Amino acid sequence: MEKLQKLGRMPVGLIIPAIAILFVIFGVPIVQLFLISVNAPSFSLVNYQAFFRQQENVFVLFQTIKMSVVATAICVIIGYPTAYLIVIASKPVRTGLIVFVFIPWLTSGLVRTYAWTVILGDHGLINNLLLDLRLISDPLPLLYNRLAVYIGMVHIMLPIMILPLLSVMQGIDQSLLAAARSMGARPFAAFWRVFLPLSLPGVRSGTLLVFVVSLGFFITPQALGGLRDAMLSNFIAVQVASSLNLAPIAAAAFILLAIAVFMLSLFGMDIYGTQDHRGRTVRKSWRSQLSSLGALPRYLNEIAIPYRARHWAAQLYQAGSGSSWSKIAGAVFVLLVMIYLLFPELIVIIMSFSAGPFLEFPPSGFSLQWYRSLFGDPSWIRAFWDSFQIGVTVTILSTIAGTLAAAGLARTSPRPRTFLMMVILTPITFPAIVVGVAAYLGLVNLGLIGTKTGIVLAHSIGSIAYVVVIVAATLANFDQRLEHAAKSMRAGPVRTFMRVTLPLIRPGIIGGAVFAFIASFDEMVVTSLVSGFSIRTLPLKMFENINQQIDPTIAAVGSLLTLMPVLWLVALYVTWWRSRLRLQDAPVNSVA
Amino acid sequence: MNHFLNRRRFMQATSSAIAAGALSSTASHVLAQSSGELRLNMSAGNFGEAVMSAFVKPFEAETGIKVTPVYQDIRAAQVGLMVKTNNVTIDTVLLGQANALLLAENDQLEKIDYSIHGQRDLDAIAGFCKHSFGFGSYIYSSNMVYNTKKFPANKPRPSHWAEFWDVENFPGVRALPSGQYGYPGSFEEALLADGVAANALYPIDIDRAFASLEKIKPNVRKWWTSGAEILQIMRDGVADIALSYDGRALALIDQGAPIEINRNQARLTCDYYVIPKGSPNAHNAQRYIAFTGRADRQAAFAQLFAQSPSNRNAFELISEKVARKLATYPDYMTSSFTVDGEWYAKTGSDGLANSQRLIQRWNAWIVR
Repeated sequence: MEKLQKLGRMPVGLIIPAIAILFVIFGVPIVQLFLISVNAPSFSLVNYQAFFRQQENVFVLFQTIKMSVVATAICVIIGYPTAYLIVIASKPVRTGLIVFVFIPWLTSGLVRTYAWTVILGDHGLINNLLLDLRLISDPLPLLYNRLAVYIGMVHIMLPIMILPLLSVMQGIDQSLLAAARSMGARPFAAFWRVFLPLSLPGVRSGTLLVFVVSLGFFITPQALGGLRDAMLSNFIAVQVASSLNLAPIAAAAFILLAIAVFMLSLFGMDIYGTQDHRGRTVRKSWRSQLSSLGALPRYLNEIAIPYRARHWAAQLYQAGSGSSWSKIAGAVFVLLVMIYLLFPELIVIIMSFSAGPFLEFPPSGFSLQWYRSLFGDPSWIRAFWDSFQIGVTVTILSTIAGTLAAAGLARTSPRPRTFLMMVILTPITFPAIVVGVAAYLGLVNLGLIGTKTGIVLAHSIGSIAYVVVIVAATLANFDQRLEHAAKSMRAGPVRTFMRVTLPLIRPGIIGGAVFAFIASFDEMVVTSLVSGFSIRTLPLKMFENINQQIDPTIAAVGSLLTLMPVLWLVALYVTWWRSRLRLQDAPVNSVA
Repeated sequence: MNHFLNRRRFMQATSSAIAAGALSSTASHVLAQSSGELRLNMSAGNFGEAVMSAFVKPFEAETGIKVTPVYQDIRAAQVGLMVKTNNVTIDTVLLGQANALLLAENDQLEKIDYSIHGQRDLDAIAGFCKHSFGFGSYIYSSNMVYNTKKFPANKPRPSHWAEFWDVENFPGVRALPSGQYGYPGSFEEALLADGVAANALYPIDIDRAFASLEKIKPNVRKWWTSGAEILQIMRDGVADIALSYDGRALALIDQGAPIEINRNQARLTCDYYVIPKGSPNAHNAQRYIAFTGRADRQAAFAQLFAQSPSNRNAFELISEKVARKLATYPDYMTSSFTVDGEWYAKTGSDGLANSQRLIQRWNAWIVR
C-alpha cells in the first residue's frame, strides 16, 4: 500500500491506469500483430516491401495524408472562429450553441451520409433549387467527388475540433484581454498577442485529434466519393473482409501509424508546448528585426496607443460597446456553421416521418410507422439501454484514467512525454478494423469476448486517448506554481488536486467525458468484432440490415436522440428564465 | 512496480469492479454450450422476418432446438479469428460464395453432412448450391435494371451487356457494383460486353475484363458497394440503368417505383450457410441446414421474400405469379449464367486467391 502511494506521487504513477488498460487490451496483441507483419520468427520485411511495390498503395497512402491534411485545415479555419464566437457569447446562447455543435453526433453516420446524398445529389436539394431558379441547365456534379468527401468529413470532424478549443478558450482569463485593451492594444492586437497564444494548446489538440481520426476514415469516402477517392482504410477494410492473411493488413496498419507519428512530429505534437511561466524576456518580432521599412506606421501606432487606452476606458462604461458590424458578421458566421452542422439533421428528422418503406426525401407521405416500429420492438429499447450502460461505464473509466494520465504527462519531461502520448493515441490512429482485431485477440486471452466488460474495455482504449488529448490541452495553460503554492501551505497531493487543479481543468475534463461517451455510444466496428454476437449495441442494431436496405427506423432513432439534448436545453432555459423573473420580482436591495 | 503491472491481477480487479457495478456480464461461450441451441446468422429486416417464419419457427417446432438469430454482417476474417483463437460463438454463418470458399480452402469450416438430407430434395438442389463446405438455400441474380422513365418498354433500350456498354446508342447515367472486394463485381458483365460467350467466362481473363471496364468507366456515375446503396440509387433516380441484385429491384417494383428488370444474361449466385470449425452446436447446425433444403420450406420462403429456391421441386408449390419474380424461373434459366465461386477462391502458385488478384488489380485500376 505504501509502495502504491509512493507510486501515486510519482508523475509516471498517474499514467499507469491508462497504460495498463491499453497494454492489456491492446498492447499484447499489437506486439503480436507487429511480429506477424515482420513474419516472425524468421523476420523479414517482405510484407512492407510488397506494400510499397504496389504503386497504388503508395498513391493511396499519399492521398490519405493529403485528404486528412485538407480536412484538418478546413476544420481549423471553420472551427477556430466558431469556438471563439461561442466562448464570447452570453451564457444562454453559449450553452445552446455548444449543444447544437454536438447534436449531429447523436445520429448514426449511416443516415447522416445518406442525408448528404439527398442534399448534394444530381436530383438533390441544391441542384433542384438551382434548376428551378434557372441558374443552371444541367445538374452540377456535387456528389461522388472529392468535394463531397470533404463536406462529409468536415461535418463529422468539426465537433472534434471545436471541443478542445472550447475547453481551452473557456479557461482563458478574459481580464487578460481587458488588460491588453486598457494598455492601448487594438482589439485585433489584443486577440493576436494575448488570446491566440493562450488558445494554441486547444488548436494543437484539436488538430491532432482531427488529423489522426481522419487518417482512419473509410465509410465517408466510399459513400460520398468517386472511384478514385479511396483512403488507405478502404484498402485495409477490404483486406479484412476478404482475406484471412493478417500479415499484409498489419503491415499496412503500421505504415499508417508511422505516417501519423512522422506527420505529428513534423508539426510538433507536444500539446503541452513549452511550459514557461517565469515570464518571457521581451522578444523583438521578426518583422522589427527586418529593417526600418515599417518604422513609420509603427511610430504612428505608438502615438495612438495612449489615445486608444483612454478610448477603451470610456467605451467600457458605455452600454452596447463594440462595433455592430463585427457583431453581425460574427453572428452570420456562426449561423452558417450551425446550418451546415444541423441541416442534414433536419433532413433526417423529416425522413423519419416518411410513409414509404425506404429512406426518402421528400417523404411521399406522413406517417409515424417508424416510431411505432421503434417502440414496438423491445430489441431497440434493449440495444439503446445496453449502449447507454456501456457508454456511461466507459465514460467513468476513461475520464478517470485519462485525466490522471494527462496530469502525469504534464509532469513528465518532453521526450518520454511525446513517446507516451503517441502510445496512448495509437488506438485512434489505427484503422478501427485493425483496433477491432487487436482488441479481439486481447480480450480472447482474458476470456472477455461477448461480455459487456470486454466491450467497455475495448471502447475505453479509444476514449482514454480522447480524454488525454483534451485534458492535456487545458493543462497546457495551467500554472503549476498554483499547485506548489497549495503544497507549500501544507495541502496534500489529493487535496491540492481536488481544490486547485480540478476546478481549473474542469472544462477539459467535461469535454473529455462528453467525447468519451459519444465515441463509445457511436462505436460500431470494434464492437462488432468483440461482442461475440451476444450483445447488440445500438449502432450494431442499426447496421444489421445494411445488406438489404437502410431501415428508416434508424432515422427515427436519430431524431429521438436529437430530441433529448434539445429537451434538456429547453428545460435549462426555462429554469434560467424563471430564476430571472424571481430576481426581478425580488426587492431591489437584495440583489447582489 | 512489478506487482502493479501483473496483468491477470489487474484484470481481475478491474473486471470484477466493473461487473459489480451497473453491468452484469454473461460469458457467451457458457451459454452456447447447452445442447438444444443454435446460434444462426442472418440479415435483419424483411429478409430476417422471412427466414424466421419460413425456416426458423417450423424448425424449432419440429426439433425443439432453440434458435438464437444473430443479425450481423459477418466478415470472413471474423470467422477466421474465431476459429484460430478457438472461441467460436456462432454455429451457422451466412456468407457470399467467394468468402465461404476461401474459409473452406483454409480448413476453417465443418463439412456439410449431406447424409441427413432427404434424397428427393438433394437430387433437386442446384449443383453449385450443394458444396462440401457450404449450402445455399436460395438463389438470387444480378441483373440489368432500367428506370422506365428514361428507358420505357416501347422504346429501344439495352437488352444485353454489350448494349449497356454502348453509350452512344443508349445514352443515360449508369451504375455498376464496385469490384473492390474482388467478388462480387462487374467482371463477368464486362467480359460479356466484350463478346465473351456466357459458357466461356471462366477462368476470367482479368486483363480483358479490365480493358472492357475501362471503356465504360467515364459513364459510370457510381460504383456501389452494398445492396442498401444500389436500392437508394435506383429509388432516387441517380442512375437510369444499373447492374443490381434482383431482390433490391423487386422491393422497389413492389412499391410502385418505375423500375424494370431485364432477365437476359442474368448472373446467378447463392449465399452459403457455413459451419465454422469448432462450432459448439455443429450437429444442430447440420440439421438446420438440411431443413432449409426442403422444398416446402423454400417455397414458403420465396413467397415471403423474392429469392429463388435452390430446390427446383419448390416451384411445384409456388404460384405462377410469384414464380415469375424469381431468378431461377425456368424461362429465365436459359438466358442466365452461374457464378463460378470456385474460380474466385482458387489459390495460385503465388499464394494469392483469384479474388485477391482482382482486389489488387482493382485498387491499381481506380487510381489510374
